[in-house]
Amino acid sequence: MSDRPHLLLVDDERSIREPLAAYLQKNGFRVTAVGDAATARLRLAGYAIDLVVLDIMMPGEDGLSLCRHIRESGEIPVILLTARSEETDRIVGLEMGADDYVLKPFSPRELIARIKVILRRAGNGGARLRPPESESYAFAGWVLKAGERTLVDSDGVSVPLSTGEYNLLLALVSRPNQVLSRDQLLDITQGREANPFDRAIDNQISRLRRKVEPDHRNPTLIKTVWGGGYTLAADVTRM
Amino acid sequence: MVKLLDKLWPRNMSGQIALLVGIALLVAQSINFGLLVRARDRQELIQVAAPAIARLADAIERDAAGAPMLRERGPWLLRRGVVVEGKSRVTPGMPRREDIAERARVALHDLRVPVLRVEAAQAAGSAVRLPGHDRIAQLRDTIDPERRNNRPYLIVAAEVSPGRWVNLITRLPSRDPRFLGWLFLQTMILYFVVLAAVLWSVRRVARPLRELTGAVEGFRSAESAALVPESGPSDVRRLVSAYNGMRTRIAGLLDEKDRMLGAIGHDLRTPLASLRVRAEGMEDEAERDRMAATIEEMNRTLDDILSLARLGRPSEPETRVDLSALLDQVVDDFQALGNTVSLADMPRTTVTIRPTLVTRALRNLIDNAVKYGGSAEVSVAQADKGVAVLIDDNGPGIPEDKIEAMFEPFARLEQSRSRETGGTGLGLALAKAIALQHGGRLTLANRPEGGLRATLWLPARGQA
Repeated sequence: MSDRPHLLLVDDERSIREPLAAYLQKNGFRVTAVGDAATARLRLAGYAIDLVVLDIMMPGEDGLSLCRHIRESGEIPVILLTARSEETDRIVGLEMGADDYVLKPFSPRELIARIKVILRRAGNGGARLRPPESESYAFAGWVLKAGERTLVDSDGVSVPLSTGEYNLLLALVSRPNQVLSRDQLLDITQGREANPFDRAIDNQISRLRRKVEPDHRNPTLIKTVWGGGYTLAADVTRM
Repeated sequence: MVKLLDKLWPRNMSGQIALLVGIALLVAQSINFGLLVRARDRQELIQVAAPAIARLADAIERDAAGAPMLRERGPWLLRRGVVVEGKSRVTPGMPRREDIAERARVALHDLRVPVLRVEAAQAAGSAVRLPGHDRIAQLRDTIDPERRNNRPYLIVAAEVSPGRWVNLITRLPSRDPRFLGWLFLQTMILYFVVLAAVLWSVRRVARPLRELTGAVEGFRSAESAALVPESGPSDVRRLVSAYNGMRTRIAGLLDEKDRMLGAIGHDLRTPLASLRVRAEGMEDEAERDRMAATIEEMNRTLDDILSLARLGRPSEPETRVDLSALLDQVVDDFQALGNTVSLADMPRTTVTIRPTLVTRALRNLIDNAVKYGGSAEVSVAQADKGVAVLIDDNGPGIPEDKIEAMFEPFARLEQSRSRETGGTGLGLALAKAIALQHGGRLTLANRPEGGLRATLWLPARGQA
């Protein structure tokens, strides 16, 4: 990966595409912006694209179909932009193999944070950029469904997770019994460097513990490693 | 009395028709019955009176000729029951038969038999003593006096000359006791046949009507409402088919509405997104944040409007969700924006809900508490076979008489729709609609210690 990751921005709406491309460029990305799926396919074939930011609703071939094409032809991560808030649309998007989705109107800073998380995850994970959409992780009576981004207990009760908590838990379950430092976790989940007084990871860990630990004051699942970081003390089965 | 009638009066069509047909049959049968009895009486009159009068005429003529009435050869039957005496056998206590007397007068006049007076009466056997009663009859009477005594007799008396009466005593045919029985049976057969036919045809109409009523009552959304099978008479079929057509049209309208709402959402969010991206390029950081907040506000309002409009056809399935984790997430979002929102410790609680909608309702309630009360304390209580989420604030509360009005869409406490306090007044209406959609309820109450408490109660369905 070069210093300047190359993004492909696909949105039929010029009023979004142009200022967003400018903003992303200003923030250190190379950006190729196109207005339809056909041109996007040409650019994908012609350039080494690191990540695609894709609008779902487009005239002609829509974003979901293009997303499926990208998924079938390679491992380029995709972030979907959607103007619809229906839950089903998000889940369909994730099941189509998108790595993340952002609801319009979005904060451009938030979008950049998400892009960085995914690029970082791709960089750290090597060949495996992201969990396949059908992948689920079973651990200690819990199932984390990567496709639907839901955490379900053995009774089928789902536990809502914020994006940050989901990313954190995914980082832990995909590396069971490994010690992950705060810096690593921050890097993987939020795509940024830690500052010395950063409590973000500790806060999220404590929130996660409240949700998944039988007793969150005596954690047995997400353990603190003295001087190091955190580890998931459980056997994880991929399903 | 009226109340009782009101109670007995059947409400449904089959009951009313059956009752009306029953009453009509009863009236018709009563008239028939009267006519039949009259006809029978006339028949009896002719059958009995004619021979009696003939015999009376014969007896009068014989009497006039000086022939003895008894112990005389000749057609015995003709002379039987004739008594010539100085008085009329008709006594004042006997029921008169003026009809027979009149017939006798006319007949005697026609036969040119001169009489002074004619009387006729009916009498029970016990009141009549018969001369020349035949032996067998006498024997039968001694064996069974009851029978004789109860038998009706007819007495026709004619005064042929002053103080000389010719009395004719004859038996009236006893009425067939089975006559009434037959009439009753006949009525019953009529009732049975007619009512069976009526009830069958009414049922044929009532069943599709009942199904139609059920379908209309159960009409929640166009997909869930099944088509009603067309059956019954053609006019009912037409009604059912008209309903089915309407259902299809409503489904079309709702689809149209969904498409339109989707398009509105898309068409408004796209320029908002464009604004939001451009706002990021602004130099003045404070101005940029204010703009971002306004755009976010517009987007929230848009979401509320779209959610409220779509609530009848939720796209999200019901899921069993850990309410504590859901609340934690909502509260965390508020805390992240620097609001004073706290969540009390609670045991793990499972509810069956549409998470996105309930999240929206909770967010609106907490948002109100923060906006109007400065802070929010969120806690959960088990109540009334369900779970109550309590959202308390320390604001000024709401005057009691204004509380109900707060649930109206676009209602806000202050009359000026100033954007200082923000909100369109959709938040509570939507939260309440979401609560109702989940079979729950939303109430607002002023707390005794000050501030307002919003209670979102959800039923404990499928609680683990």
